[in-house]
Amino acid sequence: MLNPGVAQVRNTLLPHYRSVLDGPIFVPLCYTTALRDRTAQAHAVMKAFTKIAAASLFIGSYLLCVQLSTRPVSAQQQPSPEGIEFFEKKIRPVLESNCYVCHSAGSKRLQGGLLLDSREGMLKGGNSGQPVIRPGDTDGSLLIKAIRYSDPKLQMPPKGQLPAGQVKDFEEWVKMGAPDPRAQTGSAQTAWQPYVLGEARKFWSFQPVKSPTIPEPNNKAWGHSPVDQFILSAIGTKGLRLVADADKRTLIRRATFDLTGLPPTPEEVDSFLKDTSAKAFEKVIDRLLASPHYGERWGRHWLDIVRYADTAGCNSDFPISAAYKYRNYVIKSLNEDKPYDRFIREQIEGDLLPAKSEAEKYQNIIATGYLAISRRFGSRTKEFNLTIDDTIDNLSKTFLGLSVSCARCHNHKFDPIPTKDYYALYGIFNSSRYAFPGAEIYPHPADMVALASGEAAENLYKWQKELAALDDRKEYLTVESGAAARNKAKKEKELKEAAQQNPGAQVKPSDKQSNNQSVLDEQKTEPKSEQKKELHPPGESRPADYDRDAVNSATASKSSRMPEEVSAETVRVRARVAELGEHPPKVEKAYAVVEGLPANARIHRKGDPKDLGDEVPRGFLTILGGQRLPDDHKGSGRDHLANWIADPNNPLTARVMVNRIWQYHFGRGLAPTPNDFGSRGEAPTHPVLLDYLAAQFIKSGWSLKAMHRLIMLSRVYQLKATDDPRNAEIDANNQLLWRFNRRRLSAEEIRDAMLAISGSLDRTIGEAHPFQPESEWRYTQHNQFFAVYDTSRRSIYLMQQRQKKHPLMEIFDGADTNAITSPRPVSTTPLQALFLMNNPFVHQQADSFAVRVGMAFDTLPQRVNYAFLLAYGRPAKANEIREAIAHIQQVRKELQEINTPADQLTRAALASYLRVLLGSDEFLYVD
Amino acid sequence: MERDCCDYSRRQMLRSLFCGSIMLPAVFSHILSQEARGEENPLAPKAPHFPGKAKRVIFIYLPGGASHVDSFDYKPKLIDDAKNGRLYEGRRTLLTPMWEFKPRGKSGIMTSELFPHIGDCIDDICVINSMRGDHNDHFQATMGIHSGSVTFKRPSLGSWVSYGLGTENQNLPSFVVLAPQLPYAGGQVWDSDFLPGVHQGTRVVAGDEPVANLKRRAPSARIQEAELSLLERFNRRHQQTRASDPQLDARIKTYETAFGMQREMPEVLNLSKESDATLRLYGLERGQTKGFGWQCLIARRMAERGVRFIELIDVGASNNWDAHGDMKTHEPLARNIDKPIAGLIKDLKSRGLFEDTLVVWTTEFGRSPTAEGTYGRGHFCFAYSSWLAGAGVRGGMAYGKTDDYGMKVAENEVHVHDFHATILHLLGFDHTRLTFRHGGRDFRLTDVHGKVVKGVLA
Repeated sequence: MLNPGVAQVRNTLLPHYRSVLDGPIFVPLCYTTALRDRTAQAHAVMKAFTKIAAASLFIGSYLLCVQLSTRPVSAQQQPSPEGIEFFEKKIRPVLESNCYVCHSAGSKRLQGGLLLDSREGMLKGGNSGQPVIRPGDTDGSLLIKAIRYSDPKLQMPPKGQLPAGQVKDFEEWVKMGAPDPRAQTGSAQTAWQPYVLGEARKFWSFQPVKSPTIPEPNNKAWGHSPVDQFILSAIGTKGLRLVADADKRTLIRRATFDLTGLPPTPEEVDSFLKDTSAKAFEKVIDRLLASPHYGERWGRHWLDIVRYADTAGCNSDFPISAAYKYRNYVIKSLNEDKPYDRFIREQIEGDLLPAKSEAEKYQNIIATGYLAISRRFGSRTKEFNLTIDDTIDNLSKTFLGLSVSCARCHNHKFDPIPTKDYYALYGIFNSSRYAFPGAEIYPHPADMVALASGEAAENLYKWQKELAALDDRKEYLTVESGAAARNKAKKEKELKEAAQQNPGAQVKPSDKQSNNQSVLDEQKTEPKSEQKKELHPPGESRPADYDRDAVNSATASKSSRMPEEVSAETVRVRARVAELGEHPPKVEKAYAVVEGLPANARIHRKGDPKDLGDEVPRGFLTILGGQRLPDDHKGSGRDHLANWIADPNNPLTARVMVNRIWQYHFGRGLAPTPNDFGSRGEAPTHPVLLDYLAAQFIKSGWSLKAMHRLIMLSRVYQLKATDDPRNAEIDANNQLLWRFNRRRLSAEEIRDAMLAISGSLDRTIGEAHPFQPESEWRYTQHNQFFAVYDTSRRSIYLMQQRQKKHPLMEIFDGADTNAITSPRPVSTTPLQALFLMNNPFVHQQADSFAVRVGMAFDTLPQRVNYAFLLAYGRPAKANEIREAIAHIQQVRKELQEINTPADQLTRAALASYLRVLLGSDEFLYVD
Repeated sequence: MERDCCDYSRRQMLRSLFCGSIMLPAVFSHILSQEARGEENPLAPKAPHFPGKAKRVIFIYLPGGASHVDSFDYKPKLIDDAKNGRLYEGRRTLLTPMWEFKPRGKSGIMTSELFPHIGDCIDDICVINSMRGDHNDHFQATMGIHSGSVTFKRPSLGSWVSYGLGTENQNLPSFVVLAPQLPYAGGQVWDSDFLPGVHQGTRVVAGDEPVANLKRRAPSARIQEAELSLLERFNRRHQQTRASDPQLDARIKTYETAFGMQREMPEVLNLSKESDATLRLYGLERGQTKGFGWQCLIARRMAERGVRFIELIDVGASNNWDAHGDMKTHEPLARNIDKPIAGLIKDLKSRGLFEDTLVVWTTEFGRSPTAEGTYGRGHFCFAYSSWLAGAGVRGGMAYGKTDDYGMKVAENEVHVHDFHATILHLLGFDHTRLTFRHGGRDFRLTDVHGKVVKGVLA
């Protein structure tokens, strides 16, 4: 605690302990299932698979490996599932953590020519030429002999004998015939595939989108649009009867919340009621689509999907001052009805797109904020591979509905996504440069992209680079201070010894002085040269997952300097940091991604970035075409990736997006698992309609607004939300859409609607959050960034953190800022009720609401009626007005009893009544 | 069951309650919890996979990393070598534990003077000296001990327990966190993540408003009751034409529960009826409304009232157990929690709650047996100590061993996943079967790992 900076460096890096302690510090977390614990998963995870199917999967994989092996291991019979399980649970982990360091293809220095990472290697043996295992013969197997430690000349592993239990496991395994599913050396990761490509392509979501013919159901006349004909034909002869159409008040409330996240005003309701033309509802839709609030509502959906946050998610949860620009870009893009394929391209490769103007160029750069907002990990930069994983996870789910990140550690268990596909994408992002939000050890944001050109931009880059270099230097000095302390101790010891040996000889102060002086002289130039090294434009020569720590600590611990020198330089560095902090260049910045060092990635075996396997050329998913970057490609490949995704022939992109649109309109997608179009997702209830919409989407020029019109003008969108007991018996969950789905307002809608009806909503576009100036940021994992900023703007503009949810979002199922949220779960909890009963915000809105209706009308019935119009979109009934008067009179009396000043009675009593309205289901739900 | 006594009058009773008549809160909660047994209430009490010894958990978490070699893992060779200046593997300076060890209880387990009161309870405690984590950074290790994941966000242990067992008292949250400050990783520590939101931990802090929005803000109690009464009428009317929607019914109930919570929570937090002897047990002064003793006593009161999972966090993300510079900083922190925890154990025992309450004491990692600077210790996830006590746990034993220096686990390693599997086992769960389907996959607390540590079971 005394010196957390120094302490953390030492402890988080743990160089000493790593070398002396067994077992990996890095334990990848499995998204799906790890091979080695199959029994557990057979129950817990692989419900969909029978044990037999699971077992055959393993056998299948084994056979495939054998076929691919250059020298088939014919000696081994097909291992039994139990045998493989034994190997995976008891043998492989021990081999990996104890033997592979020296005896695998990945060993830095292979010992004795012996490979233990394949069955073949074990049977072949090392330089001695003797096999190390003889299946079935325990005593004749050298490996067993070695781990038994019985022969003093042959003891493995060298650092200490394995626990007795593990030795016994190996004996038993050899006795079993040494069942071993591994393939030839080093190829296990890439060769194993759980699928046959041709077969996998037959899966519904990988089939090309066909433009289906519109069905002609019997009661075709019922429908308003082709959408209805698909719905009707799916209902077919199931005996369901469609419920009645929603009344106009219900409909306009539904559509207004749906498209803008706000309630309709009484005037809007009124004009819709008065409009008896056939196009009345269409006009409403067009008006709503043209509203600037449309982008705020649908932009929020998009932000849910891309797990938008205003903080990094690292140990200290650093704020990101410029993130809001991406948020606003999303809102703007949706309001402009930017074609979706263009929207995709901008977010993935905006910085590479040609632009007609500076303004457009900057918007395109801001768009890559989509990539930049990927979650950050730790206190430093060493876990950037996880950030890239977060990018791949989100990108593949968002645009393709695939869980590609399962393939980080192993081939996808259920979908045709091999690990090499994951690293084909990894290479693309690792060849890019992500803006750096700052972290505990490197507190200064870096690599932000200037939204300016020429000198202004250069100033920013120079400033950022110097600060980053100073952060690096500070870290170097922190590590170096340890070395310096040792140097000093050593020196003192030498002097002491010298003095003891030769008591007469005095150490000449001048010697010491000159010694020190020389170090100083040397030092004068050293930091500069160090800094110079770091002053190159970082993106051009570093992969994204470049680890600043490794560089900073590599030489520092070997320093020959004395503590005085180190602390003197530290003071200088600090002073310079402070100086720079006081004069930040006044340039607009974007939290964005640009090109980095183009290079293919190597597979991280089991997801461990330190255990590198084969290089994988950058490219796209095999199942979607397996395109590769052209050989002469000079960039990261994001340009090609964007094209592969936004390709109208990509079977997933359009389907996934129209399904999302449908889901937000109806509460449930045509395919119910919008982020998983793989084999573990649920199959679509209306596959043909899904294709129809996807085809229309592409045909319309990827227009979201066209989709909204198409869907909302259908009759099925305009049905009542009421139940029908007879239908419920056939289709209780309304999968076939014989009625509309009632929904609770989202967290944002609850807040925004309260603000809107109380007259307090600030309808302007949100700008930057009031974070402290960057130069004052001292966030650490011990002193994380936490803040809640008040605003009367719409909730999409609230500051959203990763380490702690905004209180409102926490209570009303707001989006998870760490992972894709779609659809949002809806919970019904007492804490929500407490919020509506007691939260100061609610009381404040009820009070403003009372003032609003009180100012508008003079009589209580009129006031109550107006309140109903505002909150529910309908007038109050006579009994409701009577009830209101009774309540208000009762509350007035109560208020008098607690000595409320007379001039406040009317307002306070009315507010009490309006709190009831704001807490009621008719307000909180949309029919 | 006694359902017939309530069916007819439930609504009436509630209404009379809203109108200010007096009724025993216990009866009130009984009605609600009985009604809440329906399928639609995710917090209705549920049976685990098999009868578990523990019905509830009190989970004590010490942020920053409490040292094992200074508390429960007695290492004479470390002490000896450190005192004599011998280096670890010839390179690393060892640091002498600062507190004397002595055998305690009938079991004679060696514990140090750092926790003398807890030491006196050692015969009721099962110390695990072979804990092992995956990460040496606070944030990640804190998430690890709470959710099993050091990388990606996952539901917290308390949320899993709430999800698996529901809760016995519908007027209180199922998962309560008593934390004066935010720990590392903030609110993610008790987040339900993909589990339904009702299983999220509810943070209770000492002071004016212990739970967010708990305090009545309507001008008077009678006004609030009038509002709630009218609100119920509104909602019933709204529901009449939407009869089949279970969510609407559930929402009406949440107001009743919230009202119950607003009543019952202050009662739980009101210590005026506790005897002087009890207060002394926790080291509390009469009228004291904060401090770890307060947290522990509140935990007992919540345990009595059926809260399923109670987490106690003593300090926040700074000024905590992270003793890099000087191990002496452990001393005031230990003094703050030692007597209250011992008091809690004794109190639970005297009230018969110890038999079905599992008490867990843990931290995100231990501290290095080697020195950091002159007097400090670094982070150390490779071997550390935690302990279990109460329901189903064998007291008076030390499970697992480290080597002579407390550097490596030498025997019976208990990985965090194993620790979690064991806690779930004590509650009656097969940890491989307590799953939740999310994103196309069944997730579990222990991911694909974990084995029940049979050796600690009574």
